[in-house]
Amino acid sequence: MKRKLLTLVLAGAMVCSLAACGGNNNSESSETSADGRTQMSIALRGGVYADVLKECLPAFEEEHNVTIDVQELSEEDLHTSVALNATSAEGAYDLCMVDGSWMAEFTDAGVLANLTELGYELDEDIIEATTSICYVDDNVYLAPYYGNVTVLMLNKAIVEEAGYTADTVDSLEAVLDICQQAQANGKKGFIYRGDNQNNLVVDFLPILLSYGGWVVDENNQPTVNSEEFVNAMNYYMELIATGEAQVKDDLVASVDSGAAAMGIAWPGWYTPTADTPADYIALNGKATPDAEANNANVYGIWCLGIPSNSQNKELAAELLAYLMDPEVQYGTVASGGVPCRYSSLQDEEVLAQYPQYEVVCQALESGVYRPVIAEWTEFYTTLGSEMDNIINGAKTVEEGLNDAQAALEELMAG
Amino acid sequence: MNKKRKVSGAELQTKRFSMAMITPTIIVLAVMTAYPLIFTLVYSFTDYNLLSALNSAPEVTGFKNYIDLLSDSYFQQSVWNTVKFTLLTVVLEMLVGFGLALFVNSLKKGQKVMRTLLLLPYLLPTVTVALIWRMMLSPNYGIVNQVLEALHLPVYNWFSDIHTAFGMLVLIDVWQCAPFVFLLLYAALQSVPQGQYEAARMDGAGPLKILFYVTIPNIKSSLALCALLRTIDSFRLFDKVNLLTGGGPANSTATITQYLYNYGIKTFDFGLGSAGAIVMTVIVLILSSFYIKRAIK
Repeated sequence: MKRKLLTLVLAGAMVCSLAACGGNNNSESSETSADGRTQMSIALRGGVYADVLKECLPAFEEEHNVTIDVQELSEEDLHTSVALNATSAEGAYDLCMVDGSWMAEFTDAGVLANLTELGYELDEDIIEATTSICYVDDNVYLAPYYGNVTVLMLNKAIVEEAGYTADTVDSLEAVLDICQQAQANGKKGFIYRGDNQNNLVVDFLPILLSYGGWVVDENNQPTVNSEEFVNAMNYYMELIATGEAQVKDDLVASVDSGAAAMGIAWPGWYTPTADTPADYIALNGKATPDAEANNANVYGIWCLGIPSNSQNKELAAELLAYLMDPEVQYGTVASGGVPCRYSSLQDEEVLAQYPQYEVVCQALESGVYRPVIAEWTEFYTTLGSEMDNIINGAKTVEEGLNDAQAALEELMAG
Repeated sequence: MNKKRKVSGAELQTKRFSMAMITPTIIVLAVMTAYPLIFTLVYSFTDYNLLSALNSAPEVTGFKNYIDLLSDSYFQQSVWNTVKFTLLTVVLEMLVGFGLALFVNSLKKGQKVMRTLLLLPYLLPTVTVALIWRMMLSPNYGIVNQVLEALHLPVYNWFSDIHTAFGMLVLIDVWQCAPFVFLLLYAALQSVPQGQYEAARMDGAGPLKILFYVTIPNIKSSLALCALLRTIDSFRLFDKVNLLTGGGPANSTATITQYLYNYGIKTFDFGLGSAGAIVMTVIVLILSSFYIKRAIK
């Protein structure tokens, strides 16, 4: 009898626990806490990008009686989290940061809400080129928040030693000359990031653009074995032979300490002043001083979007409008914010204190987004792997690029 | 007759009770282990993509994922890297761990302190281990290169050099996981009857003979268990690779899990990722079948 009773109790406990696992806790999903404050959750790219945004939240929370839970994630984790969140009928996030290169796959799959329908429109103060991927059929889906764009970070002393100044680095020829001189003087020349396929590709794209090449044509078909691509790759091999692959923190430390001459960087990594040993410039897109200038700065802009399954869309739209407000964005500059706005980047007071914003503004005006294709993640993984083979001598430039072209053609053919 | 029926009735009741007792475990195992495994197997025969599936249901593609996977040179290299890594780390960890266990077991004093100190690397989270080694081997401020420079020895960009990256991962894994082997074998050594050692010594056996004819036979089950656990764990290596090399340079450190992350998880191509997971499970089962057979015997 005792055994039967024990069996029944255990079986009952198991049924209850399994039922509890599958149950829907309505009180938790109501988005309102016990004190009547609305709960919101936002997913951000960790680092300075999230830091500047978080600074603006208390005022909004106070005004709207909301509590905002912030999740700071790495780039890859953010990508995965936003996509996984989209598979739920009721989304966990109300606002998220989105990299421009994810736009195609996210809009194809209906991950993002139509901001125009929610009453948000981009204003004219925002640098126009940065908004090019934000629309689908005249409807806004993203707002460019943090103006990340590739720049050339350089050590001022090494550049001067080579007979140049930041203003006279007028072509890739000059870049190579400086790096080769640095190498001859026992220092490292050009530092690139070789720790994953994305970084390998992104660091190379400004060079490719300067040679007039691109990774896809106007029909989004791969062009990674074009003459321009091969020339750019051959130049890049010569350039990186003057230095070595390092991770981001080492790259910044190398250039800042004078151990290396230069490398491709992002404004969020380093804040140059008149006294700092390093500075950055926007690449002017010329392979040689006499060559035609191309748009050579690649965007890594962190945009803001609202997941289509957000439980607080209207409030999220208000939050997005608040965060994109020119004055609110201006207020983030002192903490390292880089708004994609003329009112911030061309402000006299800002430029007096942070002269590098002039360079950032130029780079943002002439920047290029990575291809807006749903297959971009697979695309850069394949291309980056082949570039890695070329750089490490496992394949020749022609072999590697032809293999990449074949694999990418197969990918794009579906 | 009545007695027999009574006995069989009691046996039946005991059986029922036993069944009732193990049912929760079976259900939990079925839900937590069998269900995901079956689901992964089913997905591996489809073109399931996380984002595409929001618009259209995945289609059955038969063995396409398996064919794509097995014909991909990057996957083949990842399998080879993983097998190479597993063999190297398991052998080295077993040797180092066993050596440490013998050493600590032979100490007359300070066993507890040594045991605690030796265990420290294993207690650290892998992320911390990766960051510590990244700092120590940094080409800028890393202590290793500074020492080598001071000694006028050549310095390396350890994680970006195709000749050193794989070796560094092996070294770091051995550094972190040899203490685990040490702990298990040290516990096993404690249970070896001292009388056997005394008898061997009285018979004139030297240290090597004692090791091979007394110590090892007494702890062979623990040795097999250690090797099995380390094989399975090493085969699943991901976080160190992902944090330190990302699979590069030139795919020289890419493991199966890193490949699956790059081409299956990151791209949301869960069909291909599932096929890779199944292939990996089969390889682990084959590799560990030797140990499992021993354990069942």
